[in-house]
Amino acid sequence: MALLEIRHLFKFFGGLAANSDIVCSVESGMIMGLIGPNGSGKTTLFNCITGYYPPTKGEIIFKGQRINGLKPDRVCKLGMARTWQKVRPLAKLSVLENVMVGALARTGSLKVARRAALHQLELMRMENRANSLAGSLSIGERKKLEVARVLATQPELLLLDEVMGGLNPVESEEIIQLILDIKKRGLTQVVIEHDMKAIMRISDRVMVLNSGEKLAEGTPQQVVSNPDVVTAYLGSAHVA
Amino acid sequence: MRVLLQSTASGILIGGVYALVGIGLTIIYGVMRVINFAHGELLMIGMYLTWIIFTSFGVDPFLSIAITIPAMFLFGAFLQRVLINRVLNALPQNQILLTIGLGLVLSNVVMLIYTSDYKIITTRYSSSTINLAGLPISTPLAISLLITTVITAILYFFLLKTDTGQAIRATAQDRDAAQLMGINVKRMSVLAFGIGTALAGTAGALVSPTYYIFPQVGGAFTLKAFVIVVLGGMGSVIGATLGGIIIGVTESLAAVYVSSGMKEVFVYVLFLLVLLFKPAGLLGRSRM
Amino acid sequence: MKTFGRIPLTASGFAALPLLIVAAVVAALFVFPWLVASPYLLHLMILLFLSVAMGESWNVIGGYCGQYSVGHAAYFGVGAYAALMLLQYKHIAPWWGVWVAIAAALIISLLIGTICFRLRGPYFVLASIAVAEIIRLVVLNWKQLTNGAEGILLVDIPPLMLGGRLVTDWLSKTPFYYLGLILALATLLVNYLVQHSKLGYYLQAIREDQDAAHSLGINLSFYKNVALAISALFTALSGVFYGLYIGFIDPASVLGVDLSVQMVLICIIGGIGTNFGPVVGALVLVPLSEALRANLLSKFLFSIGVVQETSRVGGFLKENLAHAHVLIYGILVVVVILFMPDGVLGFGKKLIARRARPLSATPTPLVGGLDGSA
Repeated sequence: MALLEIRHLFKFFGGLAANSDIVCSVESGMIMGLIGPNGSGKTTLFNCITGYYPPTKGEIIFKGQRINGLKPDRVCKLGMARTWQKVRPLAKLSVLENVMVGALARTGSLKVARRAALHQLELMRMENRANSLAGSLSIGERKKLEVARVLATQPELLLLDEVMGGLNPVESEEIIQLILDIKKRGLTQVVIEHDMKAIMRISDRVMVLNSGEKLAEGTPQQVVSNPDVVTAYLGSAHVA
Repeated sequence: MRVLLQSTASGILIGGVYALVGIGLTIIYGVMRVINFAHGELLMIGMYLTWIIFTSFGVDPFLSIAITIPAMFLFGAFLQRVLINRVLNALPQNQILLTIGLGLVLSNVVMLIYTSDYKIITTRYSSSTINLAGLPISTPLAISLLITTVITAILYFFLLKTDTGQAIRATAQDRDAAQLMGINVKRMSVLAFGIGTALAGTAGALVSPTYYIFPQVGGAFTLKAFVIVVLGGMGSVIGATLGGIIIGVTESLAAVYVSSGMKEVFVYVLFLLVLLFKPAGLLGRSRM
Repeated sequence: MKTFGRIPLTASGFAALPLLIVAAVVAALFVFPWLVASPYLLHLMILLFLSVAMGESWNVIGGYCGQYSVGHAAYFGVGAYAALMLLQYKHIAPWWGVWVAIAAALIISLLIGTICFRLRGPYFVLASIAVAEIIRLVVLNWKQLTNGAEGILLVDIPPLMLGGRLVTDWLSKTPFYYLGLILALATLLVNYLVQHSKLGYYLQAIREDQDAAHSLGINLSFYKNVALAISALFTALSGVFYGLYIGFIDPASVLGVDLSVQMVLICIIGGIGTNFGPVVGALVLVPLSEALRANLLSKFLFSIGVVQETSRVGGFLKENLAHAHVLIYGILVVVVILFMPDGVLGFGKKLIARRARPLSATPTPLVGGLDGSA
């Protein structure tokens, strides 16, 4: 049974079909890459799955349970977590406190949360920044903080929305290693990215959206050689 | 039946003035996303300005609008440049507090200068009525509705047909996009606050023949203005127009059928009901 | 690691030195009435305690949770009216009446919370003002129940007996001093407990970024309602205390928007969202109000010769400065928001941080907007 199943999902905003007949299956332990031009509906899909928008039509099945209409906090408690395209640090709290907020999803004790948060920060090699104000971090650090914070909620499925956006190559490489590490820890991930090289390296399968519709799905190689995808998105000069 | 018709008619008349207040507030919110809690006090200043012109120069309140409008516009532009501009990027809560503080300062300065004594403007026609389809309608209110309609029409024309008006609407829709299109959004903010203030002050001038004038009169207007704006959809000028009339009628009916002291309670309860069932307003979140 | 001001806390969450200082101050406050006989000084201290209690109560919903209620007078007034009406009209002692006051405040807070907390934008602020006004107008107009604008005059408070022994007959300021002190300390304690609990972390997360908090498993409505309930409860207690102490309440004094603004002011002057901010705010506002009310400011200006008492300016000042405290509140709000939005404590923290900043600068974001910090 797939961890996450999306069945014929539609999301309309007035007359605009932001997501149109999306069908998709995410198996446990895999990394699904989600690509497509800007405005193709990737973040909208995330928002529908995690409960920010109710889907207009269709079903979202997570761990065998229909989760349409559940609020984001319930979705998180069920084991699905997401990061944001525009990072959202809790600016006036410290780095450690940020991650503790995540950890508190699983415990009521500050002591336990603090330990869990420190653990996540150590895995990210960020423990030296534990007491810095989140608002004072650089963009690369903020992205890592967001991932650490969301991992502290102990998700089974992690949705990453352009986590490499705005990073330099060194920082991007760190994130790629991080994603592969997270996979080794047993989590399932859906990764929205524009960095094609990264997507090719990390994904087990790739789904392509275009104008709200699913254009293609398959292994990275299959997707890259799909002429429709090449035309719509990659351009003929793409390097595999 | 007559009572019903008459109070509804009064409600529509006063509703027109409320609409002006609401439109001013919604323009300010639309363009600057600032909740202006000093709006009622701006209306109060308009009232006092009218009173000063009336008592010092004997100019009829409706005629002195020609002075009140530009004067209040300039005052609003001044407030925007000196105070409001500084908090455009601050937390909304801080913006609200700033305008609340501003309102307190305005009402209390006026109180220091003019004391809390009620002032009135009595003109030849203050208590006269005209006959409309057999119903006695207060003359000053009828004149004010006329003027309100004219001003609203001019405003709609300005917003819809002129370049500056469209620039204001563009800024309200999407500040960043407007800026990228070459619109000077800072100037739009000044304009918006100026227009909003002018409308509030004008509303004050229009009701000055029929209302007691005292420093705290603004408070009730501010809250009512917000009810109107939320009712009509924040940022919608048409919504504010409709909302004003609805609030005017509600208040008028409540005053007649329940009690004058409790009429505002009905408006505020209506507000809470709107928040409960249709928070986006009757017309939904819309353009100007 | 959590810090208490800038003193790092140990893992157990306490630091030795500030705790000693606090204990010493509290001890001194308890002994104060034995050493000082002046009823006026006791009165000032009582006003101080009341302001601290009001500020700390508001802080829970406004400072920690970021939901600015400008209608908290609703809870204050409902508390005061509930207790005093029961006492004056039904001769129910205030230690029973206070429960009714609390219940009423909680019901109202749930009402407002249910309507507004599921919405975005400034609706909560507006609704809080609307509810306070509704309550004020109802109380003002329902003369049979509340005596309307004439208010309720408390004739006397029944003596407090414990186990057959008289604790107090409420005839001096001293029992009110201790009651006020306990109330202030209770609100400080509640603030501290909230801050150092899961609730506190969640409230601050909501304040910082609601959507992010939502996605981290935080039920927004629930936690906002909890914060508002706690805040309403202690604000109502403050109202009850005020009614008992002053002995007279009317819609203007306990349900007016001036009072609501005052509560917010106490918090923002000191520093929103800090444990001690409201204390600082109270320490600024209470002496200032008193100085204005007692014309101390004018007298001071006259005595140093800046203004002549008999001059026009002098006469004007003497007449009006006493009533000008609301004007001063307004000016203070504007000044604080423009120049010190984090309050005195926040301003102080910034100064300290600026001096302590290491030379290695934090890398600046790439281009405005791309770094996602918009």
